[in-house]
Amino acid sequence: MTDHQLISPERLADGQAQVARVVGALRQVILGKENTIDEVVAALLARGHVLLEGLPGLGKTELVKALSRLLSLDFRRIQFTPDLLPTDITGSHILQEQNGRKDFVFHPGPVFTNLLLADEINRASPKTQAALLEAMQEHRVTAFGETRPLPEPFFVLATQNPIELEGTYPLPEAQLDRFMFKIDIAGVDRSVLEEILTTRVHGEPPSLEPMLDANDLRGLFALVDAVHLPRAVANYAARLVAASHPASSEAPEQVRTFVKHGCSPRAAIAIGAAARGLALLRGKPHVGFDDVRRVAAPAMAHRLVLDYAARLDAWDGRRVVGALLDAVPEVERGLPQTLETR
Amino acid sequence: MPESVTPALRRLARRLTIGLFLDIFPVWAVGGLLVAGIVALVCRLFVPAAAPIVHWLWLAPLVAILPAVFLCMRRSYRPAEVVAVADWLNGGHGTLLALHETHDTSWSGSALAARAATFTLPRLRPWRRLAAVPPALAFMIAALWIPQRLPRPTNTLVAEEIAGNLTATVSELKQQQLITPEEEKKLEEEIERIRKNAEERVDASSWEAADSLRDRLAADVAEKQDAIQWAEQTLARVAAAAGAGSSTEGKAAEQSAELMKALERLAGRGLLEGAPHELQQLAAGGKLPADAASLQKLMASLAKHLGDAKGRVAGVRKLAKAGGRFDPSEFPLESGESAPDGNQPGRGGIDRGRADADLTWGKESAPYDRFKSHALPPGAERSPDDWAPVVEIPGAPRESPVASVSSAARQYSAVAGQSAWRRSLAPRHQSAVKKYFDK
Repeated sequence: MTDHQLISPERLADGQAQVARVVGALRQVILGKENTIDEVVAALLARGHVLLEGLPGLGKTELVKALSRLLSLDFRRIQFTPDLLPTDITGSHILQEQNGRKDFVFHPGPVFTNLLLADEINRASPKTQAALLEAMQEHRVTAFGETRPLPEPFFVLATQNPIELEGTYPLPEAQLDRFMFKIDIAGVDRSVLEEILTTRVHGEPPSLEPMLDANDLRGLFALVDAVHLPRAVANYAARLVAASHPASSEAPEQVRTFVKHGCSPRAAIAIGAAARGLALLRGKPHVGFDDVRRVAAPAMAHRLVLDYAARLDAWDGRRVVGALLDAVPEVERGLPQTLETR
Repeated sequence: MPESVTPALRRLARRLTIGLFLDIFPVWAVGGLLVAGIVALVCRLFVPAAAPIVHWLWLAPLVAILPAVFLCMRRSYRPAEVVAVADWLNGGHGTLLALHETHDTSWSGSALAARAATFTLPRLRPWRRLAAVPPALAFMIAALWIPQRLPRPTNTLVAEEIAGNLTATVSELKQQQLITPEEEKKLEEEIERIRKNAEERVDASSWEAADSLRDRLAADVAEKQDAIQWAEQTLARVAAAAGAGSSTEGKAAEQSAELMKALERLAGRGLLEGAPHELQQLAAGGKLPADAASLQKLMASLAKHLGDAKGRVAGVRKLAKAGGRFDPSEFPLESGESAPDGNQPGRGGIDRGRADADLTWGKESAPYDRFKSHALPPGAERSPDDWAPVVEIPGAPRESPVASVSSAARQYSAVAGQSAWRRSLAPRHQSAVKKYFDK
């Protein structure tokens, strides 16, 4: 029993309408990717960073660009390459003459923005990738011993290519853990391709007008924070994350076999926050078991450190999370054995 | 929480309680039935004293209700858990949980809440757990149906029973003054020996020893009875002759001598103890009185004493014959059946075993001449050497150990093969094989 009050229906309806407009516009730009759009929007509402992985040409960059236009936020794009330096991201001090006096002046890098598109992030060196760590987690940058805060809101939407791995640097677990979601962008089916061909000249998406500004976003963030997370649902998310550790007594056989290290507590936090965002997206003042199940895979799969046996048996993080969802019951204390659902 | 949800939640809570009870009770019932069955089995096999109360074990499944109810109460679903189950049954949208936790009334009348209030109650499947009860119940019923196994009597009980019968017989003999203290002491020693032997080991020899002693007692009593009967008959003849007064001198002397012998026999059997003094004097070597009055008085006294002794012996003899011994008089022949021919084995005759002694029946002789002893011819087994050829068939081969060619085994038995058969034959067979090849 808590003294938490649910969001009023009117306020929730307003918030959901705003989000629905953004989602609707994104669906006009990116065809056939409803689930991906929902996940990206839910992560943004939860103020989380997103890693998009998929083959070239599937609309990863376009999705981020469309989002930046809709939100009327400051948007920067960094194309990660092997010769990219950390200062190319965070900014650097430049010797500059001002009033006849030479002084080092800090020139902020592209990270000082609201929405940062880190394109093909796995092509940069680990040193450069690490430059994003502090920015993503603490929303600030330290250069020459001086810490500078990043503008709020700050999102990183990174993309990476699962093929052409020559000359790439896979993101370390610590870096992956900073991303709330890792979303796999699947290919599109024939009907979507047909629609693209018939409705778009040269594949250009329709032009978009800004729909939300920073104030609107702040209001939505407050609304997301007000979404109620019932204790039983939080318990479910916690049990899911706990069961992802092979040493856990509740871990299913697949986890024991294929997982080397389970998810960090940051995964549970990410599930809770993303489930709140998804609940708002669905027009609910509270989180349910279904919301947790929906966000579990994108929030947990990239946080699992899999054993070599998983690669041999073609098990990836999402499949393991699927097994986890099958093994861990939503309600900690379910029905007696003599009862069954109809 | 919306009012519309409360009845549904109450129904769900009730069903969960029933399901919980059906989860717990079968385990206890099966456990109780198995334990009761095992206890019943043990009691039926090893604890006959518990037989009157074993049937109460059928109450075991009923008793199992108590812990099941107790555990049900302890593990009962809390309201929050009931709401969580209800929410899960409703699709896991979390509405019921949120409304239950926040008590927010602003959403009570919403479509979201109305949708959350409609969930289907889970279905009861009691046989999932109760399926194990019937086999356990069958086991307990089978255990209760097993007949009570009674323990075999111990040697001590059997020995006491054997000795008890004999002691009762001896006590009766003593009570009827038919044995002397010395005889009683010897009999008691012998009974004690039989009892001790039976305590150590009960087998046929125990019963045979008891039967032997009982036979001796019966024979002793029979001898006493015969002696009394002989004395009565002799007395009757002497009295008849004295009454008639027509007997010759020689016959009277013979009858007197027979009476004296009968008295001696009575004294020898201890039947004159407690008799009138003149009778004891007469038996000790006295003479019959010459005058008729004294003789009449003496014979009256003797007749009275013999009557008393006969009464005592008759009762005791019946007791001595008791104890399961076969008595042909208890099996009278049916009408139309002839008496078995004792000399025809296989026709109901009596097997007299070896020897050629005639079996004498009937009462054709005096009691002490009834069975005459015959010396049996010395027994000896027939030897194969006694066989002689009945006839020789012309052309039959003549077999002579000396003339025949010795077999290789016989020829080389001294030098070869011995080590082989000694090694390969069991020790108990070696002598037989050796004997065969050495002949």
